Amino acid sequence: MTQPLLSLRNVEKSFGTVRAVDGIDLDIQENEFFALLGASGSGKTTLLRMLAGFEIPTAGEIMLDGKDISNVQPNHRPVNLMFQSYALFPHMTIAQNIAYGLEMEKLPRPEINQRVEEMLGVIQLSHLAKRKPDQLSGGQRQRVALGRALVKRPRLLLLDEPLGALDKKLRGEMQLELKRIQDEFRITFIVVTHDQEEALVMADRIAILQDGQLLQCGSPHEIYEHPQNRFAADFIGVMNFLPVSKSGGALVALDGSTIMAGQNENLPSGEAVAAVRPERLHLGAADGDNSLSGKVSATAYHGLDLQLHLETPLSPTPIMVRLTADAAEGRPLAIGDDVTVGWAAKDTRIFAA
Amino acid sequence: MNDRKPIYLMSPALAWLTAFMVIPCLLILALAFFRRGIYGGVEYTFTMENLALVFDPLYASIFLKSAWIAGLSGVIAVVVGYAAAFAIAAAPARRQPMLLFFAVLPFWSNYLVRTYAWIVLLNREGLIVSVVQALGYDGELPKLLYTESAVVVGLVYNYLPFVILACYAPLSRLNPEIAEASRDLGGSGWTTFRRVILPMTVPGIATGFVFVFVLSIGNFVTPALLGGGQFQMIGNLIYAQFLTANDWPFGAALSMFLIAIMMGLLTLQTFATERASGARREES
Amino acid sequence: MRSQANPRLMLMILSAVFAFLYIPISVLFALSFNEGGLPTAWTGFSVKWYGELVRNDEIIGAAFNTLMVAIVSTFLATILGTLLAVGVEIRRRKGRFLETIIFAPMIIPDIVLAIALLSFFSMLNVTMGLHTVIVSHVVFNLAFVCSVVRARLKTFDWSIVEASTDLGASTPITLWRVVLPVMLPAVIAGALLAFTLSVDEFIIAFFTAGAGRDSITLPMQIFAMIRFGITPEINALATIVMTVSVVALALSQRLNRGGLPGQ
Repeated sequence: MTQPLLSLRNVEKSFGTVRAVDGIDLDIQENEFFALLGASGSGKTTLLRMLAGFEIPTAGEIMLDGKDISNVQPNHRPVNLMFQSYALFPHMTIAQNIAYGLEMEKLPRPEINQRVEEMLGVIQLSHLAKRKPDQLSGGQRQRVALGRALVKRPRLLLLDEPLGALDKKLRGEMQLELKRIQDEFRITFIVVTHDQEEALVMADRIAILQDGQLLQCGSPHEIYEHPQNRFAADFIGVMNFLPVSKSGGALVALDGSTIMAGQNENLPSGEAVAAVRPERLHLGAADGDNSLSGKVSATAYHGLDLQLHLETPLSPTPIMVRLTADAAEGRPLAIGDDVTVGWAAKDTRIFAA
Repeated sequence: MNDRKPIYLMSPALAWLTAFMVIPCLLILALAFFRRGIYGGVEYTFTMENLALVFDPLYASIFLKSAWIAGLSGVIAVVVGYAAAFAIAAAPARRQPMLLFFAVLPFWSNYLVRTYAWIVLLNREGLIVSVVQALGYDGELPKLLYTESAVVVGLVYNYLPFVILACYAPLSRLNPEIAEASRDLGGSGWTTFRRVILPMTVPGIATGFVFVFVLSIGNFVTPALLGGGQFQMIGNLIYAQFLTANDWPFGAALSMFLIAIMMGLLTLQTFATERASGARREES
Repeated sequence: MRSQANPRLMLMILSAVFAFLYIPISVLFALSFNEGGLPTAWTGFSVKWYGELVRNDEIIGAAFNTLMVAIVSTFLATILGTLLAVGVEIRRRKGRFLETIIFAPMIIPDIVLAIALLSFFSMLNVTMGLHTVIVSHVVFNLAFVCSVVRARLKTFDWSIVEASTDLGASTPITLWRVVLPVMLPAVIAGALLAFTLSVDEFIIAFFTAGAGRDSITLPMQIFAMIRFGITPEINALATIVMTVSVVALALSQRLNRGGLPGQ
């Protein structure tokens, strides 16, 4: 097995009595597009700042190419950060902003000029090279910030909420653009984001952080389909939770019915939660191992799909059902209607309560 | 709100400013082009003599000396004031308002009193002499009061709080991520200061310098009190034309020059501010 | 910012600057309570110089004149300056000429405004006295009041005026119940600032007070005392004047959180 590009070994960071990052172990491989996903206060930004060198870990090691860089100054690390606020130098032109990092490396002028020009081409801003940052749109500024960090060809590029300030449409375009650029430059990207969709679309692997701890790390598919705990399941996408109690291998729901699950051996007996994604629920009980009935309390039409809220004795909160336009076709589903839905045992996930 | 209301609200104040500022200043402008009467007073014939007299070597040298003292005071005040503002901006956020308040507080005590305090300190029987002698030095001390240095110290002392305030404004507005971006891209602490922080805070420096320079070059209280009776700066010269020499047209001409210098510097300052903020859109 | 700074160096700078700013005025303050009145030797605590002040009719007269000038000019300037500020901010279009006129009184060198007013009054054959000082002080005072009130209005959410109208209030009621309460702290802060400036102002008063002894203000009195024979009671007088200004400013600051006057 090859040496990982970046290894975190039990990294901790405390501010006073607050543990922002609480013992994280993580390996990131060369050329990976990695996402750190978490809500605000989860410690993801602190972790990123430690990688960039703006915070020094209270304990643990940060190894880059096998060397501990925990105490290396930010200006001496082959790691660059694209700041959340972009942090462009307002008194310099776009070209000067991009050249700045190369000047710090004391490269000869012709090489600097050539690399700046190349980079302006990559970020498609050659025609605006002489503008100042405040003469650009948000999307253009975002690309300058990316180009300024990328032009140094760092071993590791860190992106702090890179798309947070952009509007929804632009965000979609930039997600693909970032992936294209990462692919082209073969540089390892670590993106910090609170937006699960962004992480799912862009990243090769995702790490979910909560309260300074790593909850789960895996591919988008793993994270979505096989969340390892209740928080991860809830954080990514929408999940319906049904309180159950496990006795003698069977899962008993609130109304006394039994819920079938693919696997539940590891779980101890007692209180637990069964979970199922809204899109795994189908109308009618016919084609499923499980079924539940309820009364429609709300409907929302989204074009591609129709979402129903069902009030059911199995759950204290309404169950969400997501039907494709085809499935909903021709069925009057109005508020107050009684509906039965079913799902397969393999789609049930079980978590500790 | 309808469109007419602003005029009614503004007109009393604008009338007051017109009557007691604009017209008197235009009067001074006009006065600069009239002849001095034989017994003082003003003779209403057009002349350029007053303006020419400003360039007379005697008066030009006073102008240059005033500019030198004002410039020196401005530079010293900016260096000290910027350092202080930087230190305040680097302090924990919750302590900054208090530090700033105490830095500016002396500015709001009486100017004469603050200047007088330096007489007490620099006097022959003053505190500095007493302290030095109490420490066992009984040789001859250089004269402290009634010197050029005393004037400079007095001016710096009086205007330093304003410079701190002017420099603090852009320093505190600086997005900390910008300095971090420079470090991240490989800049050392000093490079970051020189290439990023300093250029971005030029407006504060320019404002501070222009303020000290303008108020110093036209000052007559400080030279009169700390520079001694013989010490002449433009302010004293203007004062003398009106109150002792009775040559109002020449005094008016000197004032016009003062205003011209001030406006020139303010233009430069505006330019510096726009440059630093990158707001010159016509450049592209 | 903070990551840039060496804490020990920052502390040294702050200590040095604050020492420079505060030692001179502290010395004056201490000296005013020195029984002997001389800076060379501490001969004991005494308030006798304050007693001397009270018995000095010239100083009491000058103090009275100063208060008179400050109160009347502050009153006029507060009304004019506040109306001006509201007028300028309501007007969406910003004229450069208008801005210059409003800004000018704060930046014209005192000596220039002083001689301009002196020439103006004498040309019109106006007898000069306290009234001309008051008129002159209103010029810069109204500009300062205006700038303080405008600073507050800049962050004023004009949609609350529309909200008030929408909820059925007439324009006067909106001004009274919504606009004034929001503005009032800034108006008072501006007035206190104007009062401080007026109490301390020397040059313009010196030129526009005329020759009479009975229109001398406190700063003029202090100037004369410093220039022609320093007596120990000036330390006491200086301490009082300093305290009055500083208290007025501190009050002004308290009322106008969010921005220092003069910023």
